[in-house]
Amino acid sequence: MNRVLLRASGLVKRYGSKSVVNGIDLEVREKEVVAVIGPNGAGKSTTLDMILGLKRQDAGSVTYWRDDYKASVGVQLQSTPFFPGLSALDNLKLFAAFHKRRLSVEEGLRVLGLCGLRDVARTEASRLSGGQQKRLAIAVALVHEPKLVFLDEPTAALDPRARREIRDLIRRLAESGASVVFTSHDMEEVGKLADRVVMIRNGRVMAHGTPEELLARYAVVNLEELYLKLTEEAAT
Amino acid sequence: MIGTVFRMMLVTSLKDKITLFYALVFPILLMAGLGYYFDSPEYRERLLVGVIALSTLFWSVQGVAFQVYQQRNKGVYKLLKLTPFPTVSFVLALTLSRTLLGLCINAIILLIGAPMFGIALTFSGVIQLLAMLLSGMLCFTCLGFLVVNFARHEGQINMLSNLLQIPMVFGSEAFYSLSAAPEWLARVGKCLPFAYFVEGLQAAAKADIRPWGVSMLIVLGFAFVILVLATLTFRWSPEHQEIRFRMRKSASNG
Repeated sequence: MNRVLLRASGLVKRYGSKSVVNGIDLEVREKEVVAVIGPNGAGKSTTLDMILGLKRQDAGSVTYWRDDYKASVGVQLQSTPFFPGLSALDNLKLFAAFHKRRLSVEEGLRVLGLCGLRDVARTEASRLSGGQQKRLAIAVALVHEPKLVFLDEPTAALDPRARREIRDLIRRLAESGASVVFTSHDMEEVGKLADRVVMIRNGRVMAHGTPEELLARYAVVNLEELYLKLTEEAAT
Repeated sequence: MIGTVFRMMLVTSLKDKITLFYALVFPILLMAGLGYYFDSPEYRERLLVGVIALSTLFWSVQGVAFQVYQQRNKGVYKLLKLTPFPTVSFVLALTLSRTLLGLCINAIILLIGAPMFGIALTFSGVIQLLAMLLSGMLCFTCLGFLVVNFARHEGQINMLSNLLQIPMVFGSEAFYSLSAAPEWLARVGKCLPFAYFVEGLQAAAKADIRPWGVSMLIVLGFAFVILVLATLTFRWSPEHQEIRFRMRKSASNG
């Protein structure tokens, strides 16, 4: 079994008297693609924020496989954090510098090419379409060749072609040995990409396992049906 | 790596056309317009110094506030926290690049204004001017950071900036003497750093060491206090304040 890269245990987050995350456990192993799914407001993003150290948990712990994990972790947030006035390539160079890497033009073009952005490398990032900006955010997450990648709804609001390109990219990342944790509302995508699925609702893990295990355990034919079944059960 | 970050911050600041207009074009137009009507050599020297001071104020307070607001709202600081690059180095690179550009802007204004008004500056006067500009830019850049920490949306940046900038400009002797103005106006001005900044620049233009030194120390003192306040209130992402606000709201509802 591959070694554990990330282990989050008993994560709890409260805002005032309201708990948004109630004891979530999550483990990510080397070369694994993990999908975190759940309805809006389930606590997915808060859980990711706590795992990434962007929010402090009220209880629980997060352990990475190495202390200086930031150099080996890539993150794509739902926002598109680009600097106005800078081209796609310059933004990439800047984020490479944040990771203490000097990026040559060729290397930059290669990374942009992976995300289908080579043709717009010199275009100002703020002038790119929504889908291109999302892909640039993913390119930024990959610029330092991370071992563990977090993608927060990487294909949301993308057209079918761009979605397919991002899915292919996630597959290639996994094949190259990186681990990927992604959130998504697209169950077809989850079924195609994920080695393991973690379903969160009301700040708790409702179900987890490989897609095949989950389909068999809940006697459903696809993940969308599972999603509807579990969210319906929780609502009633 | 800090070199790359510094260079990119220069580029992104240079593309900030609105702030460039208020820091460069507007002061030059103001200088040319007022200089055309008031031809006394004493007033023209005051005008040149006043225009440089005003440009520094706009460039540093509103320029920094809007830039930081945009970066924070787009999640730049959030993402930066996830890299090994220290945020303090990023803020430093941003501040230094804007300071360098601010000095270039002031140099352009000076190079246009001094020959236009027939003002001759001594070498030591230029050095004093430069030092005063640096300390002023530091002070007002910190003020820009402080403004953005309290602003919840872009409109509030304008409102808060003007709330500070208007009394600073009217309470200083940047464009006119306050000898005939109400006493309270001068008192308000003396509570804020801009009046001392203008006094320091005016002393530097005359190469007058003592008042320049006193003004410089006062401006640096203000810079230190504002820096401490800006650091204490710094927000990594827009949600931080929203969360505090929501919690207070729910507490008061409960």
